[in-house]
Amino acid sequence: MIPALKSFADRFLGRGDATITVPSFDGALKPNQILEQAETITQLEAPEDLATDGTSLYIADGPALLRLEGKGTTEVRRFDRAISALCCLPDGCLAVALEGREVRVFRTPSAEATTIFSDATFNAINALAPGPSGTLLATDGSATRPTSQWGHDLMERGRSGRVLRLELESGRVTTLASGLQYAFGVCMAGEALLVSESWRHRVLALSADGGRRAVLDHLPVYPSRLSSAPSGGFWLTAFAARTLLVEFVLRENAYRRRMMKEIDPEYWIAPKLRSGLSFLEPMQGAHIKTMGVVKPWAPPRSYGLVIRLSEAGVPLYAVHSRVDGLNHGIVAAVEMDGALYALAKGPRRLLRAPLGMIEKELQA
Amino acid sequence: MSDIVLALRHATKLYAGVPAIEDVDFELRRGEIHALVGENGAGKSTLTKVMAGVVGLTSGTMQVNGVTAAPRTPLEARHLGVAMVFQENSLVPTMTVAQNLFLGQERFYNRLRGIYIAAQQFLQSLNFDVTPTATVGLLGAAKKQMVEIARAVLHDAKVIIFDEPTATLTPEEKKYFFDLVRDLKRRGVSVVFISHALEEALILADRITILRDGRHVVTDEAKNFDRARIVQAMVGRDLSNTLYGTRKTSVRPPGARVLTVQNLKLAPMVKNNSLSVFAGQITGVFGLVGAGRTETFKVVAGVLKRDFFHGGEVMLHGKPVRYRVPAPAVRAGIAYITEDRKVEGFFETMSVARNIYLGLLAKLPGGRFFLSRREADKLGDSWVEKLKVRSTGNAMKVVELSGGNQQKVVIAKSLVQEPELIIFDEPTRGVDVGAIVEIHDLIQQLADEGKAVVVISSYLPEIMALSDRILVARQGKVVEEFSALEATEEKIMYAAVH
Repeated sequence: MIPALKSFADRFLGRGDATITVPSFDGALKPNQILEQAETITQLEAPEDLATDGTSLYIADGPALLRLEGKGTTEVRRFDRAISALCCLPDGCLAVALEGREVRVFRTPSAEATTIFSDATFNAINALAPGPSGTLLATDGSATRPTSQWGHDLMERGRSGRVLRLELESGRVTTLASGLQYAFGVCMAGEALLVSESWRHRVLALSADGGRRAVLDHLPVYPSRLSSAPSGGFWLTAFAARTLLVEFVLRENAYRRRMMKEIDPEYWIAPKLRSGLSFLEPMQGAHIKTMGVVKPWAPPRSYGLVIRLSEAGVPLYAVHSRVDGLNHGIVAAVEMDGALYALAKGPRRLLRAPLGMIEKELQA
Repeated sequence: MSDIVLALRHATKLYAGVPAIEDVDFELRRGEIHALVGENGAGKSTLTKVMAGVVGLTSGTMQVNGVTAAPRTPLEARHLGVAMVFQENSLVPTMTVAQNLFLGQERFYNRLRGIYIAAQQFLQSLNFDVTPTATVGLLGAAKKQMVEIARAVLHDAKVIIFDEPTATLTPEEKKYFFDLVRDLKRRGVSVVFISHALEEALILADRITILRDGRHVVTDEAKNFDRARIVQAMVGRDLSNTLYGTRKTSVRPPGARVLTVQNLKLAPMVKNNSLSVFAGQITGVFGLVGAGRTETFKVVAGVLKRDFFHGGEVMLHGKPVRYRVPAPAVRAGIAYITEDRKVEGFFETMSVARNIYLGLLAKLPGGRFFLSRREADKLGDSWVEKLKVRSTGNAMKVVELSGGNQQKVVIAKSLVQEPELIIFDEPTRGVDVGAIVEIHDLIQQLADEGKAVVVISSYLPEIMALSDRILVARQGKVVEEFSALEATEEKIMYAAVH
């Protein structure tokens, strides 16, 4: 009874769990325009994920698996369904998730699959990563919505995300964690696993005994895929930034249900991978422009961000594409040959930012 | 008939020997809109107060329509045709619009209906959509401003001065206000307005005058200015021979996040403000008047209360906190060192030791039943020595100390509480140069010890000399963050006015 009254009072007064607040981009997340200044390597059809074995960069572009060659790409293989996740394994194999429902492992990109995981419970496999001792790690974002309907899962306040271990030899699938609010990205960090929990705006460390600890929380963004940096630490991508308006809508259940029923999903008050395409897009009123000038602190409907994390998961710095930029909806980032490659799903671009340039910009 | 309606020649105004404006020449043409721009303390308000008869000149002359004048009161200035609309408007909130309009012009017999009809006709002639029977206290900021303007026009003002007229207006109200000002211009009224928003000055004004440190820098046609030129003129001071002459070459790395402020609201000053403060760093907070810096940190320290409904969140070490009075904030390790030390900082007739002892008592839950004079003296001695307070002894009354030493007592009163987060609000305002150096050293030392330090200052060189990271606030929220290594006066000012 008392918790129910407290919850009602919190909702009424806007405090506690019902506080509609968003953390600021400051400290290590201090905004810059580095992602916006990054070189556009190529324009893609339907980019989804990146993977590298240290020498080659693979790109998941719809059903096509591409390899970066110079300033262009070559199609290595085409599947019957869209690729939803991609990773290179230490033994040279390549793992691919198809439409979130099946995971296939190939010895070489053009070879036949050596292992196929098609567990009936797979629904939205959105990230793959090499695990310990010949295993593969995967995140299944939602048990109810496919990967393409991540916005529906957010608006339904989904909490059916899972972290899975796929054993390549036995074909066994083990659930390491469940009940996550959209698991989207996993990476080994010593003995533990780092997992992005997008709707809780945090990165969790899962220990071998199943314990969970937030290594990074209260993020002003929705975190997504993680990748290891060759020099230690990690790259964490974020596909959208949080805004007060979306936070508010997430607390208004009746409104949200009606919005989902009556409004075209393209125009929902929800984070997007790109924006500024239509006057029908909802805005957080009177904050985008002042006296005709787009303000840098305007609440963004879409945003681009990659965060460099230390080995302990502490943010060191971040590269941004801000509210007036285009390179939004960053869903994957890997480091290769002294450069950061990032996939901007909003404008469908593969971006390249040399680490030297990033350091120079951060020092400027 | 001369085109110059109001002129000031070699205008100087000293406050306790310190010049607020010095040798300023200013000319206002008939029917022009003239913007006064400058950072805090540049002398804009003093200059306008001289014109409006609120203060008199120490030296120099003022001419209205070519005739030398020295109005000693706002009423005298009004008789000369000069009226001022203050930021905090001077209307009587419990009276109606019509009563406010005719206040001071009452006849022997006043017929309320007659006043309402006259007010209605007058407001309509100005095209102001205000009901004359409405109570002023119930009107919005824009409508109150309309009443102020109407009153000035009714009093046949030929010069109307606005101090930060748009600070409390919404974007729609601002547009309406601009139209009103342009309408006044068409009627031949000259308008002087102080603004911290460069866009407004560039859009609205015919000419712009820039003041810096109480001196006139430049006056030119608005069309000859752009933002960069204005900012350059506002901050372009020579610091080579001052204690702010050297630039920072390194900054402290951030430690743990001590304070997080998320979407804090305190109407009308703080609007959705978000920021973080880290341990082991000095976070400088710069902003012009109305930026909401002091109010934000007063909410953090429990001196002010945030908005009751959806007023945002303050987190200390990652945990939400909400202090309604300062005592629990002090116990949680937050020290707020006030900008107004004479009113909020100390008990001036009490001794140095007693003041410092009071700081300690504030930290103890429920205070202390028996007070120890010996403990107070011991504490006083140790802090007088530590902060080099120049006094004849710790029994000396604070009122007898110099400004710098008074400030040291205020600081000691907070530091005795061993806080983790120390907020200095204008730490060197009204402090002599020697004490400034000592206070700066103390602030640096606190950051070196790993404390989270916030310095709110309106003086750009001080912010740049002290801070490891600089937050720039504008109209109630932090709008930009700079590392001290990348920051320049121009960049900071640009963010503060952009």
